[in-house]
Amino acid sequence: MNTGWAWLILAIATYPWLLGADLASDVFASWSLTIFISGVCLIAPSRRLRRWQSVLFAAFLGFLFEARRPIPDGTVALALVAAAIFLSSNRQLLRNTPRMLWAAVIVNVLACLCWYVGAAFVAPVAASELAGQLTLQLMVAAIVGVVVLLPVALTQNAAMDRLGVPPASETP
Amino acid sequence: MDQNRQGARASYVALAIFVALWVLMPAAIRRLNREAFAEFQAPALHLLGKSRDMATFWEKKSRSTEEMAAAGRDLARINAALEIKLNAMDDVRRENIRLREITRYVVPAEYLSVVARVATRDSSSWWQRIVIRKGRNDGIRPGAPVVFGNNVVGRVTAVHLTTSEVDLVTSPGFRCTAYLEGDDQNRIALVNGVASNSLGTAKARVSVIPHDYTPPAGQPARVFTTGMGGVFPSRLLLGYLDGGTYSTQVGNFKESLLIPSRDLYNLQEVSVLVPLHQNPGEALMQGDQFQ
Repeated sequence: MNTGWAWLILAIATYPWLLGADLASDVFASWSLTIFISGVCLIAPSRRLRRWQSVLFAAFLGFLFEARRPIPDGTVALALVAAAIFLSSNRQLLRNTPRMLWAAVIVNVLACLCWYVGAAFVAPVAASELAGQLTLQLMVAAIVGVVVLLPVALTQNAAMDRLGVPPASETP
Repeated sequence: MDQNRQGARASYVALAIFVALWVLMPAAIRRLNREAFAEFQAPALHLLGKSRDMATFWEKKSRSTEEMAAAGRDLARINAALEIKLNAMDDVRRENIRLREITRYVVPAEYLSVVARVATRDSSSWWQRIVIRKGRNDGIRPGAPVVFGNNVVGRVTAVHLTTSEVDLVTSPGFRCTAYLEGDDQNRIALVNGVASNSLGTAKARVSVIPHDYTPPAGQPARVFTTGMGGVFPSRLLLGYLDGGTYSTQVGNFKESLLIPSRDLYNLQEVSVLVPLHQNPGEALMQGDQFQ
């Protein structure tokens, strides 16, 4: 099978997880918490997809997240694209599960920081005493990164196996 | 390995060029991109909302006959009480019509009410929103007020084909003028959402409260819309003043927090009041499509 559209099919296969995160955000709405997993969804594809495919996949995830939220256009998408380029160029950083977990935490927290700061930048009110909420949001992003990585990666790997994407090299 | 490094470097350069192009790109293209991704998600949001409705349906269907009978009995009692109220209202309505005829006042039919189910809620420090399952196809337009009964829920900020995004009263982007209960002179206060900075439920702020205003004793003061500005009809309930008022740093006015009149995160259904004619608020929203 031609793997040119693998990134799009993989994105659609990942979408139920993003929808699940939206559902969780719905549950935590009264606490003003957003469950953000777009950074986590980037890890497994960055090990196996080609660089340009990872970039398109990352842009797709980023634009999906910011489509319904008051964040400056492209903030999350471009942050995730930069992360995708870095990860797919340094695959040795993702060669085992503990390293993937670290990467999930770091990418998710950094992308979360990007949208939070981006949203603050265009917010119609001044920020005051928000350090606590930001810390909380980043902590949630980190915890979600750890908890969600394995099931998401399993789903994505299964999808990539079916699409005929070559497995990740043991010695990248 | 060198090829990999070169490829990475080229990718970073391409990204930098794309960022520059993206910033310089006309806003219409970015808006189109945003709209396309929002529409991509719309069917899933509909599915989410409908699944929730179905779960509620089966949950109710699984209740025992005794429970249903008890609920029916309670409803019958409530209906009886409401019937008495309705008769009283009928008297008021007749009196109202009589007075209008005397003054020859024509009631303006300004709004079309569109009932919509809530699909999802989304909230952070910087926004408190709900997504409803009605959109442009149903005649909803940006800027339209959203209510539940006579309680203000928020305002439509973005409209897609089959879904719309609603900024809640507590969202930092929300602003409107208000009257306070107990202020006989009907002086105008301002209500705006505040950035949420705790795990607690978000609230809004009521500012420009006159210094000599005293809330009614024994009950939280209600806050109503003024009808000015052309967005919200007058005398809709925005919420209640949270405890006492406190002086601002300048000292000319007082401020207080506003507790929304409904639990905004438990709403299942809302009404969108679509103005039959474009109002000034709506005209302003058209130039402010980025939400």
